[in-house]
Amino acid sequence: MIHATTFLLSLTGFVLLLLAMPRHQQDWFCRKLSPARSRVLRLAGFAALALTFVVAGAGLGWAYGAVAWFGWLTVAAALVVTLNNNRERIMRKVRP
Amino acid sequence: MGNKSFRQSMAWLHTWAGLLPGWLLFIIFLFGTVAFFQQEISGWMRPELGGRAVSDTALRAASRLLVAKAPGAERWIVTLPSDRGGDPLTVTWKSGTGEAAISGKAILDPTSGREIAVRDTRGGWFLYRFHFELHYIPYWLAEILVCAAALAMFVAILSGIVTHKKIFVDFFMMRFGKGQRSWLDVHNVTAVLALPFHLMITYTGLVTLLFTLMPWAISVQFPSRESYFQAAYPPGPERASQGEMIAPLSLDQVVDRAKVLQGGVAPGRIIVEHPGDVASVIQLWPSPTRIGGTSDALYLDGSTGKPMQMPRASGMAAASRGVMIDLHAGRFSGPVLRWLYFLSGVGGTMMVASGLILWTVKRRTKLPDPVRPHFGFRLVERLNIGIIAGSCAGIPVYFLANRLLSLSMAHRADWEINSLFIAWGGLFVWTLARPAKRAWIEALTVCATLYALVPIINALTTARGLVPSLIAGDWAYVGFDLVMLATAAACTFTAWKVANRKAKALPRRKARVAVEAAL
Repeated sequence: MIHATTFLLSLTGFVLLLLAMPRHQQDWFCRKLSPARSRVLRLAGFAALALTFVVAGAGLGWAYGAVAWFGWLTVAAALVVTLNNNRERIMRKVRP
Repeated sequence: MGNKSFRQSMAWLHTWAGLLPGWLLFIIFLFGTVAFFQQEISGWMRPELGGRAVSDTALRAASRLLVAKAPGAERWIVTLPSDRGGDPLTVTWKSGTGEAAISGKAILDPTSGREIAVRDTRGGWFLYRFHFELHYIPYWLAEILVCAAALAMFVAILSGIVTHKKIFVDFFMMRFGKGQRSWLDVHNVTAVLALPFHLMITYTGLVTLLFTLMPWAISVQFPSRESYFQAAYPPGPERASQGEMIAPLSLDQVVDRAKVLQGGVAPGRIIVEHPGDVASVIQLWPSPTRIGGTSDALYLDGSTGKPMQMPRASGMAAASRGVMIDLHAGRFSGPVLRWLYFLSGVGGTMMVASGLILWTVKRRTKLPDPVRPHFGFRLVERLNIGIIAGSCAGIPVYFLANRLLSLSMAHRADWEINSLFIAWGGLFVWTLARPAKRAWIEALTVCATLYALVPIINALTTARGLVPSLIAGDWAYVGFDLVMLATAAACTFTAWKVANRKAKALPRRKARVAVEAAL
C-alpha cells in the first residue's frame, strides 16, 4: 500500500515536472504556459516528490523508505518518459 | 582553462574511462543485476526443494540426525536457508583433528526435515560470485580487474554528468529511429533516470572492494591482515569441553531463543561447539535481512540456552561500511524493493551497453572507408557483439544445463558453468565469422530462442512448469519463467529493430553516395 502510494505520488510529481517544461507544454497543450504557471507546476512537482519521500520514509522506515523512494522515482520517471514518447499515439486515442 | 575545454576534456575522459573497461563493466552489471534474485534463482535450480522457510519440524529432525550420527562431535554446523529459500537445510559435523578427523554432511528439506538428494549445482550463487570474482582466472587477478573497472565506472559516471550536460534539460526526451541521436537518448535516459542507483551501486561496489583498493589502511596499523581481522572481529567466548555429557538443546529451541533475544532476527548459521558437553557453546550468526543490521554472532550457553554474549555493535567506520555493503547487495529488501533494484540494474546494464554501441555508431559515419574500417573500430564492434550478446546467451544456457545434464554426472555443477561459457564462446566465434549487422541479428535471435526454451524445458523436465506453478501460487517459479519469456520477447524485439533499421538506412546512404557521384 505504501509502495503504491509512493509510486503514484512520484508519478504525479514527474508529470507535473514534465508539464512545467515549455517544450513539453507545446507538445501536450499545443501552447506554452506563462512563466508564472510553469513555476507553480515545477514547484508542485518537486513538492510532490518531497512528499513522496516523507510517505515512503514514514511508512517503510527511513532507511528502507529512502532506498524504495529512489527506486520508485526511477520507475515513475521511466513511465513518464515512455508516455511522453508515445504522445502522438495517445493523443490520437484521446482526440481522434 | 575555459569552460568549453573543461567539458571537452571530461568528454574525452568519459569516452575512454567508459570504453576500455566497458565490456567488463557490462558483465559486472549484467550478472550483478541477475544476482539480486540469486536466492530465487537457486530455488529454481534446485527444484527438489519444496517449501521455503525453515520449519520447527525440520530443525527437530536436524537435531535428531546430529545426535544419532555425531553424538561426540567436536562441532556441528547448521546452515539455514533464508525466508527466500533457494538453499536446503544443511548440517555438517566434525570430530577429532588431523588424519583421524571424521566429518559428515547431510542435506535436509527445510520444510519436512527429511534427508533429500538435491542436484549438484551452484545456483544463483555462481552468478553472484561471477560478478566480482569472474571465472577461470585467479582470484587476485579478477580482484584487480574488477577494482580497476569499478574505479573507471565511477570516473565515467562523474565525467558523464559533466559531458552530457543536457541530460536534465532532455530529461523526458527519447527520439526513436534517429540513429546516433536515438542511441545517445537511450544512453542518457537509462543513465539519468537511475542516476542515484548508478552512483550508489558503483560507490558501494568500491566499498566492498575496500581492502583491495586501499590495503594501506591495514598495513600501516597492523603487521598482517590476519592480525587486523583478529582485532576487528575478536573471537567470542570459548570453553574447553569438560567431558560431562547431557542432552543437547534442540535446534528449534535454540532458534526460538535467538529470535526472542534479537527481536525476530533469524540466524543464518548455527555452530555448536562440543555438542552435548556441559561446556558447549552455541554461536548464532545472523543472515543479513536488515539494512545496517549486525553481522556479529550471538553466543548461547549450550547447556542452559542462556545468552553468554550478545552481538557486539560495530565501530562507526565498520558500521558505515556495513550499511554500504547492505545497500549494494540489497539482501535486506522485500520483494517489491528487490524488483526496483532489479529494474534499476537493468537500466544500468542498458546504459553500459548503449554507451559501448554509441562509440561505434558515432564513429561509423566518420570512417574514411566504411566498408573497411580500421582495426580499432572492428575490435570494438566485434567485442560489443561477442560480449553483449554472448553473455546474454550464456545465462539461459546455464539454466538449460541445470535441467538437461544428467543428475549423476561427475562435476555436474562445474559443467553447468562450463556450458555457460561454451555457449558464450561459441556464439562469439560464430559472430566473428559473420558481417556485423547479420551477427547482431543472428546472435539476438539465438538469445531469444534460448530464453524462450527455458520455461519449455522446465515444464518438460520437472513437475513445476509455468501452469502448475501458477495453480500452486508459487510466485518465485512463475516470476522466473515470466522473466525468461519477457527477456526472450525483448531480444526478439531488438533483433527485429536491428533488422528493420538496416533495411531503411542502407538505401538512403546509397542514394547519397549516388547523388554525390552524380555531382
